[in-house]
Amino acid sequence: MSEALGRVVATERKPNTPHEFHFWTAIDSPVGIGTIVRVDGAQPMGGQIPHIYGIIVEGFSYTDLITPMHDVLGHDGSPTTAGFASTERAEIRLYTAAVLRQIPEEPLQPVPMGQVFLADENDVQVALRMDGYLKEGANTGIPVGVYRAGGTDAVIYLDADFLLGPEAAHLNITGVSGLATKTSAVEWLLASLFKHFPEDKGSIAAVCFNVKGPDLCYLDQPGKIEENDEVLYEKLGVEPKPFEKVEYFAPYTAKGLALNTFRNNEALLDNVTPLTWGLHEVLQFAEVLLNKDDVDAKADALIDFITENVVGKEFQADGVLLKNHKVESFADLDAWFRDVLQGMEKKNGESWRTHHVATIRKVRNRLSNISTRCAGLVTDSGAVSDLPFGSFVDRTVYVVDVANLEEDAQDLIFARIVSKLREHLERRDLGVKHLVVFVDELNKYAPGDGPDTYVRKMLLDIAERGRYLGLVLFSAQQFRSQVHRRVVGNSGTGLFGRMDPDELSTPGYAVLSPATRTKLATLEKGQLMIRHPHFTQPIFVRFPRPSVMQGREGSERYPQSTEISIDAAVLRTLRPLDPTITLPWVQEITALYTDDEIIRARNATLLARPKDVKAYFSAQFRKIIPAQPAQRPMAGSIRTVPENDPYGF
Amino acid sequence: MLVSNSGPDASGRAALRLLMELLPGMSIVEGATVLEPVTSSDQPTLRSATIVEGTKLRAVKVPDFSRETASGFGAFLDGAQKVQVVAHQFGMPVVLGTVSAAVRVRLDRRLTTWALHPPRVERKIYLPLRFLPALSEPPKASNGIVPADWQIVDTSTADRNGDYPIAHPAALLERAVRAVDQERDQLEDRLAEAWCARGEAPLYIDGGISRSASVASSSCAIGVIKSHRALYAEGDALGVVFGLEKGERSSVFRVSPRSRSSVLSWYLRVRPAEGHDALWGLVRVEMSECDRAPERADEISRWVMAEMTPLSLPDGRWDKMAYGVRDCEEFLRAIS
Repeated sequence: MSEALGRVVATERKPNTPHEFHFWTAIDSPVGIGTIVRVDGAQPMGGQIPHIYGIIVEGFSYTDLITPMHDVLGHDGSPTTAGFASTERAEIRLYTAAVLRQIPEEPLQPVPMGQVFLADENDVQVALRMDGYLKEGANTGIPVGVYRAGGTDAVIYLDADFLLGPEAAHLNITGVSGLATKTSAVEWLLASLFKHFPEDKGSIAAVCFNVKGPDLCYLDQPGKIEENDEVLYEKLGVEPKPFEKVEYFAPYTAKGLALNTFRNNEALLDNVTPLTWGLHEVLQFAEVLLNKDDVDAKADALIDFITENVVGKEFQADGVLLKNHKVESFADLDAWFRDVLQGMEKKNGESWRTHHVATIRKVRNRLSNISTRCAGLVTDSGAVSDLPFGSFVDRTVYVVDVANLEEDAQDLIFARIVSKLREHLERRDLGVKHLVVFVDELNKYAPGDGPDTYVRKMLLDIAERGRYLGLVLFSAQQFRSQVHRRVVGNSGTGLFGRMDPDELSTPGYAVLSPATRTKLATLEKGQLMIRHPHFTQPIFVRFPRPSVMQGREGSERYPQSTEISIDAAVLRTLRPLDPTITLPWVQEITALYTDDEIIRARNATLLARPKDVKAYFSAQFRKIIPAQPAQRPMAGSIRTVPENDPYGF
Repeated sequence: MLVSNSGPDASGRAALRLLMELLPGMSIVEGATVLEPVTSSDQPTLRSATIVEGTKLRAVKVPDFSRETASGFGAFLDGAQKVQVVAHQFGMPVVLGTVSAAVRVRLDRRLTTWALHPPRVERKIYLPLRFLPALSEPPKASNGIVPADWQIVDTSTADRNGDYPIAHPAALLERAVRAVDQERDQLEDRLAEAWCARGEAPLYIDGGISRSASVASSSCAIGVIKSHRALYAEGDALGVVFGLEKGERSSVFRVSPRSRSSVLSWYLRVRPAEGHDALWGLVRVEMSECDRAPERADEISRWVMAEMTPLSLPDGRWDKMAYGVRDCEEFLRAIS
């Protein structure tokens, strides 16, 4: 049995309660804020010695000095001589602990007097009720970190049923930027999830939206792991290696030549897929891009009409339209609009099928503008390259890089992808049973105040109903207090890295003791405070540095490609499909064509991934008869003109 | 020495309940007051002493003392007592007495209880059995009448002259208080003897060292007396003592009380007395007989002055109390 490190004390002024108790320790005792302790009661209750588990939430230290003035007097006002005193004043370390668990749990009584021991690994499991989900044969524990105190190293597990549903779900991370907490924690947790998620609970994948910087762009590249991290990895039962299956998706730049991602270095392009959408994909989410001023009731009706009756349908000529239309792309839609408006002008009509000409012009303007605002993502031609909805692969991370995109394009990507994921999960045909969606910068996408945007509605929907579908939101932000309450409130698990003191002064953190708040404001890299449904109090843990290449290192080793020539862009895109393709070959094939035609041919080839890439790519171009060198015409005989015929007849 | 004034504890109350059964008509005293030790009520006296250092008492500046001076004391000894009249039967006082003593050892500048001899706490009930006919035979712990950790002490026995005390409550109370004083002295002496037997580092004893022969002759027992009911100076010597400046000591003299051991002693001013009475910051130090007594007195004086920080506030005797002694008292207050 280990040695007692403290004794429970209670006074009338500071009594113990069923949820809190006080104890003192030796001055050099290895305890501090966040340490888990066990109290062994002195008197048996119902034949059982009560054991109370608690976590230290506050600490006090004082001496028998009544007033600081006595110390000043005692040392003649000279701090330097104070150190020469033969005896140190009697000093106390008094701690307050919040109760984690009492055994027996009934009747719930104030914590009795007794000896206090440092919790060992078994105690930690019992204290945090982890014993309930770490049973042999029904183990749903997902290691999240290691609790360390006074020589105790205990793995802290989250319950998969409460992290990914169905009991509770979702995870929210808060912490200041720049301390490698939020992204690193998610990367580590995903690695742990992929390793430890029980096989019998089905498959799992993750979709991560990279909204800023290159941090998520090198998940498949090995990172630097230090010795102490290796120890943590071993303790946590996870191999320190990068993710085995990672797929990247990114739209093109506005020019359409290179992918608009930090990961567009040629050496890393083999698992980067362009993200391009056409009219079909976008129109359903027009609401995301059009604000309420744009879309009044009349415009909304016209957009519905177009969605229902025009797009993808044979639209017959009528009295206004001069010809039949089949709208498959933004270019087709613009032609359709042009036809409608010209027809109305010819007939001098003010409305067509109840839609006023002004509304038609407005909707045309707004919709046509989408492909411009989201250039690189939305194509005029209708070419589509998308996430593999329906064939998601178990234990795969799908990263959608939207970091360099305009806000509109980011919103559109987020809204459409999440909607599609939800649709497929509802139909149970996504390819995996559980899907984690990671979104950073929740302050921006689901703010507590501001307009009720489409994206925020979607995040609320995931947070409130996603767990029934297997759609789990891992979200992160710097200021939790500024995120919509229902999003963070529905997150069953909360991780907190180092916090900004201003943020800690907001009411949401009032439940934490001042000492816990102070610790939160000074956490080191790799330390987290965890709230989880099974834990009655927040717990501090350490997690290992993710074993993937960090963004800064990755961007130095694999610099982002600058804008290149169209031939080089084609070569870079097609070479992964056919390594025999060379730049001279591309130049020869594309010499006579416009940039739009070349890009269209490239996109079509990339989408089709044919066996004979060269043949397929070449076949995408219209036939142009090469210009022949001009020949001097043969000189013909000059007819003689009759002398009396001035007109030459 | 600490005089505690908290009420009887749980076992004291249990003893009282038992006595109430044995002594019908016994009245409980609400809010029992604490009685001062007898020594504080002794008459002030001036006594002569044999000068050992020189021919007459004079002031000696303690050499080489500075704030950096390290103390050679390794431990502190003090005792505590609590005497309360908790009840009476027809005026005959029932007294609860608790005595305790402890040695607090200094390790790495922090004080901790001497592990070899744990602190002692003894509780007794002081009854004038001669005047309590219902208790013709003193109850014993073994017969279950009183709790095991309480003993009965008869305060109405005959003294060495064969005289019995009168049935005056004040006389009986004085008897009880003297008995408690003696209990505390014995407890302190036992601890001091144990310490000296091991010949460990010098022990700072709160009070005199002459009661026990072995302690009085030990070089590691140093007594520091804060109260001056008896002053070992007369005539001009008295002026020398009162006129000591901070950091000055008197010449060493020999104290040879009746029925006690002879020890060497001197007065030492540990704090300046300006603005206070003449005894403020004045202690009397006792040590065993030794060669080169003046040098030893200088050394011990430096140690005693070094023990004056940290201050012993808020204790009212902080002007001459070492912090280690205050620590002992606080410790005894906690355990008794």
